[in-house]
Amino acid sequence: MSKKLNLNTPVVENREQRLGTIVAWEGKASELVSASAYSCASCGSGCGLCELSSPFTQGSVCSEQMVECQAGHVRDAVLIQHSPIGCAAGQVAYNSLYRNGLRNRNKPVENIRVISTNLTEKDMVFGGADKLRQSILDAWERYHPKAIFVGSSCATAIIGDDIDGVTSDMTEELGIPVIPMHCEGFRSKHWSTGFDSTQHGILRQIVNRNPKKQEDLVNVINLWGSDVFTPMLAELNLRVNYVIDLATVDDLAQMSEAACTIGFCNTLSSYLATGLEQEFGVPEVKAPMPYGFDGTDAWLREIGRVTHREELVEKYIAKKHAEVKPKLEVLRKKLQGLRGFTATGSAYSHGLISVMRELGIEVNGSLVFHHDPIYDSGDPRQDSLSHLVDHYGEVNSFNVSNRQQYQFYGLLKKFKPHFILIRHNGLAPLASRVGIPAAPLGDEHIAVGYDGMINLGEIILDVLAHTKFHKNLAAHVKLPYTQWWLDQDDPYILTKKPELIYEE
Amino acid sequence: MSKQLKKIAIYGKGGIGKSTTTSNISAALVEAGYKVLQFGCDPKSDSTNTLRDGKYIPTVLDLLRVKPKVDAHEAIFQGFNGVYCVEAGGPAPGVGCAGRGIITAVELLKQQNIFEELDLDFVIYDVLGDVVCGGFAVPIREGIAEHVFTVSSSDFMSVYASNNLMKGIKKYSNAGGALFGGIIANSINSPYQQSIIDDFVQRTGTQVVEYVPRSITVTQAELSGRTTIEAAPKSAQADIYRNLARKIAAHTESRVPTPLETEELREWSAKWADQLLAIEAGELRGERVGI
Repeated sequence: MSKKLNLNTPVVENREQRLGTIVAWEGKASELVSASAYSCASCGSGCGLCELSSPFTQGSVCSEQMVECQAGHVRDAVLIQHSPIGCAAGQVAYNSLYRNGLRNRNKPVENIRVISTNLTEKDMVFGGADKLRQSILDAWERYHPKAIFVGSSCATAIIGDDIDGVTSDMTEELGIPVIPMHCEGFRSKHWSTGFDSTQHGILRQIVNRNPKKQEDLVNVINLWGSDVFTPMLAELNLRVNYVIDLATVDDLAQMSEAACTIGFCNTLSSYLATGLEQEFGVPEVKAPMPYGFDGTDAWLREIGRVTHREELVEKYIAKKHAEVKPKLEVLRKKLQGLRGFTATGSAYSHGLISVMRELGIEVNGSLVFHHDPIYDSGDPRQDSLSHLVDHYGEVNSFNVSNRQQYQFYGLLKKFKPHFILIRHNGLAPLASRVGIPAAPLGDEHIAVGYDGMINLGEIILDVLAHTKFHKNLAAHVKLPYTQWWLDQDDPYILTKKPELIYEE
Repeated sequence: MSKQLKKIAIYGKGGIGKSTTTSNISAALVEAGYKVLQFGCDPKSDSTNTLRDGKYIPTVLDLLRVKPKVDAHEAIFQGFNGVYCVEAGGPAPGVGCAGRGIITAVELLKQQNIFEELDLDFVIYDVLGDVVCGGFAVPIREGIAEHVFTVSSSDFMSVYASNNLMKGIKKYSNAGGALFGGIIANSINSPYQQSIIDDFVQRTGTQVVEYVPRSITVTQAELSGRTTIEAAPKSAQADIYRNLARKIAAHTESRVPTPLETEELREWSAKWADQLLAIEAGELRGERVGI
């Protein structure tokens, strides 16, 4: 049987090739489930999925930025952006996330170590490989890191700079992994290919190939969220190995020694978890994501099965059910009659909707930035969207929209939620201008597990306390849209009739 | 376990007979029982035509243009004696980026493990020899081809193209790239043409793999949309190609070449230009060039 992931080449296969990823779609959640590859086995890759196309795109993110937020956040490594200086604009934001993340986890606060090769016209004409070599030496000289990551850019990918050759040469010269990552923005229509690109490089060059097994170690693939996994897994006598953000190179290397791999979001963890299983035999926990009672129960039981801790898991589940249920009852009363809306990354949103439904909040509409019709493992137990529909019911308007503000406006107008849940910037201001408060879940772990239901309920109550402010704001601002768009009922009308934008 | 796959790239200046030579090598290798894939890396997409009755095939990049998800198998076609043919394809002249096209097409086939799946003995990349950007150098980089050959006539422009290619190989040789196998001397019909190439390979520390004379048999075969091996299997020219294919199949040791610097190359060609003039004028200057 052929391997799912091809680690023989330095270039990661992008998401649309591997998973059939789409960035625009509208319909019911159940329809998306049946059109996706888990259900649509005959076509294998989700080709039953008809992607909509918009005549323009208002906003997106670059794969290279995902490399910055992963490889750039490894604590004793350096990231080199082999790019013109514009690609370095993200360093400011990622530095702030890095510093905040370190503080949240009680680690020494420091700045990121990201260097741009600052390519100019001359380098585009004559090639930038020498500059890259110099930057790698500078990074080594300055920081003596345990690994150096090198991310490509659109410019270097077009001129065909030999990043692979230089990095393999420098790996030998410096005696540390120097890792090429092919993350140029144009290679994929969705930025999550950037996650895969970093994870591909780590699997190829950092993970320890002669592991000494640590039977109580669990890889947790996450970002910079608060440490909710340590206390949870401690009850199962398991230790946490957080990767990739805020990890050290040694933490990344020991991933092959772990008993299993888990995550909080399939979008993020799909490639790395499948790669660890394929290459190093570390089982990926194949279960629904840990959101709501159903998801968390099934997820914990699978961890228990894989790590042979079934009894401890059952004890923990019983304890937490008893502890959380009364609190949840109180919250449900307070949240009764509310309508919520999520606008987040794909798999994460499946989890958040489950939690909102546990809290008794009505969710008829939602928005995800992309949809993966299948995850890398291909295992149906990870079909998080169908888990949502089967256990928490239909979402009547389940929208895939790649941060298209004009569509987002149409959706908010249509569903009139009392609040929205977000994680990415640029969404809350629009919601505010139509009088809706947003809960920015910067800490991605906030809704995870049993306590996550309580946490999210409390955050929603906090945010609702600001409703009057947002209403006031809405009353005093003007939206940038024409009357035609303000009155338009179908947020996707331009994907169906693109010629309308040329009409008066 | 799959057998050892030999990965070869053949470069040459446009119009020098590179695709003709490559297709005849591929045809001779399949005739000898090997499993061969010829990968045309030229936006003109006509590398494999004579292996398929003169017909064009849809290219890898044609698929990319129309499909959200590319299955590289759809770009693989079989031709003469089962030879596999792939064309990278590329943009129309004057638009887009042909070099990026080669990067994308080569990577798509690599990612989908096509070569391993087909259980090939040989992959032969037929690449436009004016290595004008990084994209055209992809086949000589680490992990793509192991041995590079150039097709060159004794024409100075063609020799320059070979010299340039050697510069590229020398550059990438430190980073695990392909090494130089030798020159396939094409259209060699006279002793002085042979001498020019011989002198050049001696100066650059390389070798001539085979001398291929210019022949009307080749032209006739091409015009009928076939290789010489297929159209005139019993001809002397077909045997020359078979011999060349045998040498390439047996070739194991490639080297880092020592290309001439621009000034050296100029002096070298000026010397030969003098000599050629002398030959035209009926003069004999045997001691200078050994003829």
